[in-house]
Amino acid sequence: MEIQLYNITKRFGEVTANDGISLDIRQGEVIALLGENGAGKSTLMKMLFGLYPPDEGSIIINGHETLIDSPQKAMSLGIGMVFQQFNLIPALSVLDNLLLAYPKPPFWTFRRLFGAGAPQRKVLAYLEELAPGLDPNTLVRDLSVGQRQLLELVKVLNLDAKVLILDEPTSVLPPQEAERLWGLIRKLSDAGRSIVLITHKMQDVMACAHRVVVMRSGRLIKTLSREDYNEASLVSLMMGDSNRRSEIDTTPLPEVTGRPPRVLIRNLHAHQGVQSIDDINLNIGAGEILGIAGVSGNGQLLLADALVGLASLTRGEVILDGITLHSASQAPKTSERIAYIPEQPAVNAVAGDLSLTTNVALSHFRQLSFFPAWEPEETLTLNIIHRYQVRPDNPALLAGQLSGGNLQKLVVGRELHGRPDLIVAAYPTMGLDAGAAHDIYQALFAKARDGAAVLWISEDLDDLMAYAHRIAVLQGGQVSGLFDPKTSNRLDIGRAMTGEKKTTTEHIPTPAEAHPRTAS
Amino acid sequence: MTSSTSPVLKFGLRLLAGPAGAVLVMAATFVAAALIFFAINGREALSLFHEMVMGAFGDGYSFSETLVKTAPILLTALAVALPARLGLISVGGEGQLYLGALFGTGAVLAAVEQPGWLLMPLMLTGAMAGGALWGVIPGLLKTRLGVNETISTLLLNYVGVLLVSFVVHGPWKNPNSLGWPATIEFPEGAILPQFFDTRVHMGLIFGVVAAIVLHILVTRSRWGLGLQVSRSNPRVGTTAGISYERNVLIVMAVGGLLAGLAGIAEASVIQNRLQDGLASGYGMTGFLVAWLAGQNFLRIIPLSVLMGGLLASADSLQLYAQLPKASADILQALLFITVLAVSSLWARRRAA
Repeated sequence: MEIQLYNITKRFGEVTANDGISLDIRQGEVIALLGENGAGKSTLMKMLFGLYPPDEGSIIINGHETLIDSPQKAMSLGIGMVFQQFNLIPALSVLDNLLLAYPKPPFWTFRRLFGAGAPQRKVLAYLEELAPGLDPNTLVRDLSVGQRQLLELVKVLNLDAKVLILDEPTSVLPPQEAERLWGLIRKLSDAGRSIVLITHKMQDVMACAHRVVVMRSGRLIKTLSREDYNEASLVSLMMGDSNRRSEIDTTPLPEVTGRPPRVLIRNLHAHQGVQSIDDINLNIGAGEILGIAGVSGNGQLLLADALVGLASLTRGEVILDGITLHSASQAPKTSERIAYIPEQPAVNAVAGDLSLTTNVALSHFRQLSFFPAWEPEETLTLNIIHRYQVRPDNPALLAGQLSGGNLQKLVVGRELHGRPDLIVAAYPTMGLDAGAAHDIYQALFAKARDGAAVLWISEDLDDLMAYAHRIAVLQGGQVSGLFDPKTSNRLDIGRAMTGEKKTTTEHIPTPAEAHPRTAS
Repeated sequence: MTSSTSPVLKFGLRLLAGPAGAVLVMAATFVAAALIFFAINGREALSLFHEMVMGAFGDGYSFSETLVKTAPILLTALAVALPARLGLISVGGEGQLYLGALFGTGAVLAAVEQPGWLLMPLMLTGAMAGGALWGVIPGLLKTRLGVNETISTLLLNYVGVLLVSFVVHGPWKNPNSLGWPATIEFPEGAILPQFFDTRVHMGLIFGVVAAIVLHILVTRSRWGLGLQVSRSNPRVGTTAGISYERNVLIVMAVGGLLAGLAGIAEASVIQNRLQDGLASGYGMTGFLVAWLAGQNFLRIIPLSVLMGGLLASADSLQLYAQLPKASADILQALLFITVLAVSSLWARRRAA
């Protein structure tokens, strides 16, 4: 199957997400669609998958111009897409999830009637091929992220997809699982399927792409074949002039001898729904950036909630500057000394039907007078809007009218203004373009330079290795390893993420013991 | 020619697409539905409708009767609208009204010998406490045990109504009433002030003042902001340090207190005693008014007057047209359905 995208343009309001993009997808080929977050890669592929129509341009399949107006249409044409967010039902088994997505048996066919019959074997055929060891009766909630992703892939293959679109598939995987996925992608392309790999990671491209298409701010910058590129040339194409990682100053503060760490996390236990954290012992010094690595869903968010005072502890305590802030004996309570950037700020940190100004004022709600004066709040909001380039820049708009990325910038700005003592940031740059991510890192780490303790949860090991002073890995709700990014390698951290080996946590140099470093 | 007429036409169309147009269409649809209802009953539809409007707003006396019925509707509507501002769906106005009457009457019976300056405040305090209690109980059930407030308020309505029934059949029954289940008549000092020789009483003033005060508090104050935030995103509210639990108790208590005032006003002014069937249906009417008004306290005031008029006119329908009393309920239902249908239709058209 040959697909040509011709001169595709897509606008969202004033933003041009795709600007006249032409691209062809050939049979049996792995194309990497490379670009920073916000470059327009996903938008382009969502149009091919029928999620929204292009404003201009056409899609030509096997020589015929084709209108793809729904994902159903795309799937009937043999185009399948695996998204970053999985579409699985955790309470059902692997087999049930596959059956739900399988088109052939009508809904009144009870699965029990299949027995070990032919339809079931058909549904499971790809699963056995891709993951031979996986029992189809396992509940999806017991699967690892990598296995869930495989399951999504099997669902798409079951629909007989000739063209597979994978949206940032390795962003959720630890290094070893990513390698396995690359192998799988090569195998599928050898079998004649075309694969579009949406990614912002160089390793993905180097590992399995036949061709790479570089996109930047909605435009196609260049299409290169395997022999025409190397990592360095791709980075500069992808970033343009915005490769500014080196400008971020994360030099640790000089340690004053005898000064205890600002934040002591002692013996922390908590559970909430299916998540739990057990026996977490960590400390964060003044100006220290403690990175939390780990495959998502291993207790990161609960740890953040427990530190902030949103989740109740079952045991242990959190001490800030010598004062017990949270303990198992008291009801959870938030404090204005702690700044919190939760994951998905658009969902977890703003009230969508209130104005931007109101949402900014929430960070110091307790200090507002009974009939709040709104002028200073509006001034503050305007400052944040300008500093972080929030669009549209009208503080009277309702938060729900802004895009997720812009809300994220607003929330970061809100949380980082003033002088928080502890900053808890969960995936603060997720989904943002390179420039915005850079601004956020700069602001966040500048607070560390001012003396705040920073706990930074991230899925991006590259970023963690570049900026964090220490990295703690969470696995199954426990700290499975504590690393100094300067002396550790990715694979060791990856092993701690999957729980293959417990790394000793006995001697970890504090930032000042190690040499003060300037960013590399 | 067309160039001169089209701007007018365009303006007209735009007006029709806005809220004014919606109200216009609502009124027209309701009138049409009411006329059809009368016609089905074999009456002279137009004259009956005229009779109805006159019965509600035609002269001083009818209008005063409309306002008499407005007061409890207004207060119970507020008792529903305030919790709704926190995202709670309370249907407990009726029970709170009865509890207000019960506790208020209890205070009157206990202090019946006292002079008016003491008796009146005691009665009102009792009424507010009773209503608030019937709001706080579902509030506590909600915050402590996670019991759905809609179910608990609904069920407590029955408890409230039957508690009143119990006391007037039993311990509080007036021995001289020849078996009629009611308390003794309220003494002079326990009858709320009325205006201009009509039955319009202080309860209406309480309602209007409460509506305005609540409107200011909810839209302007930090507390009101807290309610908005908690309703919109409870997690964000908790992070900002807004206590959802405390706010649940506050809105349920204040709402109950207002409905309790409605109850004691009915007992004191309208019935002069506590008896069965004190105010059947006001709580439910108040609920509907609150939702029709979109929980906007200021909009509740005119809507309560309108609904009071509808109830008042039912009396005149009975009198002049020999239509059963239930026709008022039917007209009320027609009005609600019309308003809800038209407003949803307009909202959908605006979204499209």
